[in-house]
Amino acid sequence: MNKFLKLILVVIASVTITSCVQDDDYTVPGSLGDEENKALQDLLATSTEVSFDYAKALYDSDPNNDGDNDDAIPYEVENDIYIKGYISSSDRTGNFYKELYIQNSSENPTSAMKITLDQVDNYNQFNKGREVYVKLTGLYIGEERTGSNVYTIGATPEFDQFGGTVTSLNFNQIAQNVLRSSTSEEIIPLNLSFSEITDQHVGMFVQVDNVEFADNLAGLQYFDPIEVYDTARTLQSCNGFGYDTFILETSSFSSFKAFDLPTGNGTIKAVVSKTFDAVSFILALNSVDDVAMEGARCSLLDLGDFATIFEEDFEGMSTGSAISSNGWTSYAEVGTYNWRALTTTDAGNPGPGNTIASMGAYNSNTDVNIAWLISPSIDLDAQSTEFVNFQSSNSFSDESELQVLISTDWDGTTANVATATWTALPATVVGADVYYEDWIDSGLINLSSYSGTAYVAFKYIGGFPSSGDIDGTFEIDNYKILGEN
Amino acid sequence: MKKSLIILLFGVFSSFTMMAQSTIIKGSVKDAASSEPLPDVTITIEETQQTTLTNGFGEFIFSSDVPLGEQVLKISKTGYETKRYPIIVNQGQTVDITDMTLDIDVSDVQDMFTITLSDDELNDDTSGADNISGLLSSSLDIFQRTAAFEFSSSFFKVRGLDSDNGSVLMNGIEMNKLYNGRPQWSNWGGLNDMMRNQVLTSGLTPSEYNFGGVLGTSNIITRASSYRKGGRITLSSSNRSYTNRAMASYASGLLDGGWSYALMIGRRWGDEGFVDATLYDSNSFFASVEKKINEKHSINFTSVYTPNRRGKSSPNTQEIYDLKGIKYNEYWGSLDGEQRNSRIKEVEEPIFMLNHYWDISSKTKLNTNVGYQFGKLGNSRIDYSGGGNPSAAYYQLLPSYHEQRDDLAGAYLAEQRFLDDGQIDWERLIDANVTNNINDITSAYALYEDRADDTQLTVNSIFTSEITDNIIINGAVNYKNLKSENFGEVIDLLGSNVGLLNVDSFDGFEYDNRNGGRIVGEGDKYRYNYNLYADVLSAYAQGQFKYNKFDFYLSGNITSTTYQREGLWEHSRFLGDLSYGKGDEISFTGVGAKAGFTYKISGKHLIDVNGGYLTRAPNLRNTFSNSRENHTVVKNITEEKVSSFDASYIFRSPIVTAKVTGFYTKIADANEVGFYYADGLSGGNDIDDNDTSAFVQEVLQGIDKKHLGVELGIEAQVTPTIKLKGAASIGQYTYDNNPDLYLTSASFNTTDGSIPFGKANLKDYKLAGGPQRAASIGFEYRDPDFWWFGATANFFSNAYIDVNALTRTENFYLGSDGLPVNDYDEDLATELLKQEEISDYMVVNLVGGKSWKVGEYYISVFASVGNLLDVVYKTGGFEQGRNANYAELRDDNADGNPRFGSKYWYGRGANYFVNFNVRF
Repeated sequence: MNKFLKLILVVIASVTITSCVQDDDYTVPGSLGDEENKALQDLLATSTEVSFDYAKALYDSDPNNDGDNDDAIPYEVENDIYIKGYISSSDRTGNFYKELYIQNSSENPTSAMKITLDQVDNYNQFNKGREVYVKLTGLYIGEERTGSNVYTIGATPEFDQFGGTVTSLNFNQIAQNVLRSSTSEEIIPLNLSFSEITDQHVGMFVQVDNVEFADNLAGLQYFDPIEVYDTARTLQSCNGFGYDTFILETSSFSSFKAFDLPTGNGTIKAVVSKTFDAVSFILALNSVDDVAMEGARCSLLDLGDFATIFEEDFEGMSTGSAISSNGWTSYAEVGTYNWRALTTTDAGNPGPGNTIASMGAYNSNTDVNIAWLISPSIDLDAQSTEFVNFQSSNSFSDESELQVLISTDWDGTTANVATATWTALPATVVGADVYYEDWIDSGLINLSSYSGTAYVAFKYIGGFPSSGDIDGTFEIDNYKILGEN
Repeated sequence: MKKSLIILLFGVFSSFTMMAQSTIIKGSVKDAASSEPLPDVTITIEETQQTTLTNGFGEFIFSSDVPLGEQVLKISKTGYETKRYPIIVNQGQTVDITDMTLDIDVSDVQDMFTITLSDDELNDDTSGADNISGLLSSSLDIFQRTAAFEFSSSFFKVRGLDSDNGSVLMNGIEMNKLYNGRPQWSNWGGLNDMMRNQVLTSGLTPSEYNFGGVLGTSNIITRASSYRKGGRITLSSSNRSYTNRAMASYASGLLDGGWSYALMIGRRWGDEGFVDATLYDSNSFFASVEKKINEKHSINFTSVYTPNRRGKSSPNTQEIYDLKGIKYNEYWGSLDGEQRNSRIKEVEEPIFMLNHYWDISSKTKLNTNVGYQFGKLGNSRIDYSGGGNPSAAYYQLLPSYHEQRDDLAGAYLAEQRFLDDGQIDWERLIDANVTNNINDITSAYALYEDRADDTQLTVNSIFTSEITDNIIINGAVNYKNLKSENFGEVIDLLGSNVGLLNVDSFDGFEYDNRNGGRIVGEGDKYRYNYNLYADVLSAYAQGQFKYNKFDFYLSGNITSTTYQREGLWEHSRFLGDLSYGKGDEISFTGVGAKAGFTYKISGKHLIDVNGGYLTRAPNLRNTFSNSRENHTVVKNITEEKVSSFDASYIFRSPIVTAKVTGFYTKIADANEVGFYYADGLSGGNDIDDNDTSAFVQEVLQGIDKKHLGVELGIEAQVTPTIKLKGAASIGQYTYDNNPDLYLTSASFNTTDGSIPFGKANLKDYKLAGGPQRAASIGFEYRDPDFWWFGATANFFSNAYIDVNALTRTENFYLGSDGLPVNDYDEDLATELLKQEEISDYMVVNLVGGKSWKVGEYYISVFASVGNLLDVVYKTGGFEQGRNANYAELRDDNADGNPRFGSKYWYGRGANYFVNFNVRF
C-alpha cells in the first residue's frame, strides 16, 4: 500500500470514530420541570391564593333562591386567583378516569374539589399527595352534575338532560392551569365512620375502620361482569342489632376489577365521591392496597339474647303534673315548666288515650325553659350490654330542642343535675318536620361503653320569648332498657 | 461500438490458425489498463448460450459443439463494461482471440444500484414491502437491471413475488433467514466492493449451487483470489438514507505462496435520511484470506461484520400526511435539543465462513463450506404499560377523532397541537417515571427492544461435474441448524429508579409466571423469552444438457425441516406445557422438481421455457401463531406448494437485444400471521368480559395466490455512444381462494385462545406490495471522453393497498350476538370493502458521471438524482385492523376523514446521491 492509501485510511478511520450518531443516553435532563416551575413562579407572583371554600362559594347553585337548582350556572373565574391543594385520587389502577380529586390539606382536610381533565394516566403526573396549584383564572367552577354538591373545576359549562356540568380541561389548560410544585406529601386519611360522611368530605381520602363487605358478597369480585361501567358493592359496619352501610363503587376499567372481595373485617381507605346520579355517597378505591380486611367479621347483637329489664310507658301516672313516680325525676333548671304526664290524642303509637311524657314551653311566660326528665338509675354492671330505646313525637315543632343524655356521676339530687357530667347519646329524636301524630323510634342506643350507675336524661331546651319560635312540645313514651340475658 | 472492438475484430481474423479437424474457439482476456490477465470472466457464445469462465491466466476455450458461421461472443465481468465480439467460425478451424481487453466500468453503474439496494433493503420490515433489487443487482438482463435500478424505490416486486422466493447465497451458503425466508441485506451492507462478484440465475433457470426458489439464486463470491488486485477509496453523500459514506478496500491479488487477501472497511452515517429522524449508523468490516494449497485445493476464510443501527419511519394515515407532509415520522421526539428516534433497528450478526475448493479434475469440482453466524437483531420501541400512548399521532390526538365527536373546537386545538409539535414528548415520559419514583411505583414508560439473537451453523457440499461435453451434473447436500433466542430486553428505564413490572398491563397476565410480579431493570429480559430451533437438511441434484440447438435441464430436491419452540418463561394465560419448556417438534418435508429447455432457432432467435413444482416448509414466522406467548402452531399447517411456469422469446441482433417473458406462478397452502388491536369483534362470551375488542394475532391459513403476467426488456445500441432501453412488466397478482381466518389472543376465553371466523372472502383481491404494472424508457449516452449520463422515465400503476382480511369475513356483518346487524346496507358495504388502488405516477431519474485516469489512478465522480420532478406518490399501504365490522367501518368513514384510515408509505421526493472514488 502506498502513502496515498494510508493517508485516506487514516482519514476514514478518524471519521469513523468521531462521527457519532445519536447515542443511547436517556438520562434525566437537568432542565426537566423548568418550564412548569417557571409557570408556577409566575402564578405565585401575579395571583392570589383563595381557600377551597371561597372557590366553592363562587358557584351559586340556586341563584334565584327558589329552592331548586334548575337555574344553576357554573361560575366563570375572571380574577387572578388560585387554590393550593394535594391530590387525593390516583388513576393508576384505572378506577378513576380523566379526573383528579384535590383536598386542601394533606392531613385533616376541611374541603376538597374535583378537577375534570381530558387526560388519562394522570397518576404519573399528578401523583397522589402531589402539591398542586390550580390557577382558576379562565376556568369554571360548577358541579359534576347540578345539585350533586360535587364541586368541580372545568373548562366550560355544558348542559344536558341531567343538568349542568363543566367540561374537561384540554391539554393546553392542563399545562397552564394545573401546576405542580416539587413537593409530594403523604396523604393522611381522615378517619370517619360511615354515618359521619357528608358533602363536605366529597373528594377527600378517608379511612373507615371496622368495616366489611355485605354478607351476600362472599366469593364475588369488585366488579360484576354484567355491569357496563361501575359496580356498587355494599360495605357495612356492625352497629348493635343492625348495620351501617355504604357503597364501594368500582369501574369496569379498574385493574383490580376481577379481584375477589375480602371476606374479613378491617379498614378501607378510599376517596369519597358520589354515584353518577348524585343520589348516594360512595367510596372509590385508589388501589386495593388500601383495603385491609383480614380480621374476623363483626357480629350483630341478637334481640333474642336480650330481655327488657326496665320499661316505662307512663300509664297510670297522674296526668297534668310534674312526673315524679316510678323513680323518675323532673327538674326545671330554668323556668318553672316541667315534664308532665299527659293523655295523648295522637293516632300513632302509642295511640289515643295513652299516657305519655310531655314538655313544651308554650305560655311559660319566660324567655328560656330548660327542663330535665331523668330516668331511674340503671346498674350497668349487672350485665355486659344494655340498650336504651324510646319513642318520641312532637307538636307545634319549631326551633326548640330535645337532647338525650347520660350520666354516671349524678348523685340523684336535683341540686346536682347541673354539675353532673352529661354525655349525649346517639339517639334518633323526632325531627321538626315530622307529622305531629307520628312517633319516631330512637333506635337501640348501646350503653355498653358506660359502667356503674347511670341515668338517662331528656333535656328540653326552649322558652316562650316574644318571637315565639322555641316553644314547641316534645313527647316521650315507651322508654325501655334492654339487658343481655 | 467501441474503437477497440473494431480493431480487435480485425485482429481476430488475422490470428486464425488451422487445427486438425476440431472446431475450437479460444482466447484470453486482460485488463485494458493494466494488461493483467483477468480471471473469472464469463465468455458466452450468444447463439448457443454456451458459457465458460477464464482461468487464472485469463484464458478460455470452447472445444465442443461450437456453432459455425457468424457468431457473437459476449465477454462480461462484474465491474467491467460488457463487450460483444462478432467472430466467424469455420468448420474444423480454431478461432484464437488472444488479449481481448475489458475496460473497467468507470461509470460504475453498480454503485447506483448498490446504493439503492442498501438504502431500501433495510426498509423491509418497516415498510412491509420487501425489496428484491438485491437479488437482481448483478443481472445482465435489461429487465432485471431496470427492476433493480429504476423500480426498486417503488417497491416493485418481480412477478409480484416476495424475496423469500429467491435465494441469496454467500459462497454457496444460503443467507435467507429461516424466520421469514428473506435475506437480511444489512448483514453485508456497505461492502459494495467485496460483494460485487455475484453469479445470478434468475427464475427457474438452473443454478450450480442450489435448487433455488422460483425467483432464482444469487451467489455472492468472496474468495480473496477473485478480486482484482488494487484498492479503492469511495466517498459519497446522499439525502436518501445516510448522509455520508466512506469506504476503502484493497485486494492483494495472488501473492507468492498461493496467498491472497482482500480487506474492506466502510462507514455510513447520517442524522437523518429523506424522512425525519431516520438516523443511520453503520460500520462495515470485511476480510477474506485465501490459500491456494496446490493446483487442486484452495481454502478461503471470510469474515464479515457490519454492525448497523437505523432509525425507522412510520407509515401514516392520509390525515397525517396532509397535515405534516411526507417526511413526517411519528417515531421521534426531541430530548435535550436532540432528535431521538424511539424505533431503532440494530443488526449485528457477524458471518464467518470457511470454504474449501477442490478441483478433483478439470471437469469435476467439489466445494465444501462451513458458515457460522451469530449475533443480535433488535428493534426498539417505547413500552407504555403505565401511561398513555406516547405517539403524538395517536388517533385520539388527531383532529379526526374530535370531529367524529362533533367537537370542532377540540379538533382545531388538536390540529394546532399536531402542527406545532406532533412528536414524542420524551420529557413527559421521563417526568412520568420520575413522578412514579416518588411513590416507589414501577415505570410508566420504558424503552425496550424486541430481540432475535440467532446462532446458525450451515454446512454444505456442492458438487459439479462435466460428465461429457454436453452434460453437466450438479448436486449438493446442506445442513442448517438454527437457535433463535427471542426476547424483549429493557434498554432504558427513562428515569425510573424502580424498574418495570413484568406483567401484561392490558389484561394482567404474568409474562413470567414462575417469577410472578418481578420488576425488571435495564438489560433484563422483558415481556417474552423463548427459543426457536430449526433443523434443515436438504439435497439437490441436477443435470444440464447442452446441444447445438437445444439445451435442457432437470433438477430435483428434497428438504426436511424441523421446528421447535422452547418457552423459557411460563405465560400465566397459557400455563404449563402450553407455553413452558419444549413444545412439540413440527416436521415438514419439501420436494421440488423443475425442468426447462432453451431452443435456439438461430443466433438471433431463442425460445426459453421453464416449469417447476415445489413444496416447502412455511417459514418460522408463519408457523407459530403466537410464539411470544405459547407453543401453538398454526392449525392445519402444511407445506406450501409453489408451481411456476414461464416462457421467453429472446431476440438478439448486434444492435438490439430484447426479451419477452410470460409467467405464471401459483402459491398454495400458505399461511400468514399478523397482529393488531381489533375493535368490533363478534366473539360474545369467548372474549374476556364479553368485550368486542382485543389485541389479537390474526392467522390466515391455506392462502392461495396467483401471479401471472408478461415481462419485456429491450435495449438498442443505436449509435456507439447512445443506447436506448425500455422495460415493462404487466402483471396480475391476486388471492386465488378464500382462506380460513382465525384469531388468537390471551383475551380469548376458549381453551386454546382462538376464535374461528370462517372464510375470509379474499379471492380476486389484489396482492399488495408494489405496482403490478411498471414500465421504464430511457437512454444512456456514453461519451468517448469518459463522461456519460442517462435518464429514465418510469411509470407505475395498479398498486393496491393491503386489505384487512378480518373485514372480509362474516364477522363484518354479524353483531356481537352472532346475528347479522339490522342496518346492514349491502351497497355501502361493497363500497367500504372495495380495495383501494394507489394512483398512477411517473418518476424521472437522472444519472451521470465522469472519470479520469491520472497516472495509475482512476478517479470517477458519479451523481444521480432520483424523482427529479419531485412527484409525490404512494408506494403502498394497508388497511388498519381496528374497525373489524360494518358499523364501525361505516361510522369511521362517514365524514371522509376516518380515524383508522389506511396507512401509507410515500416514495421519496427529489433526492440525490453523489459518489467520488479513486482506484489504483
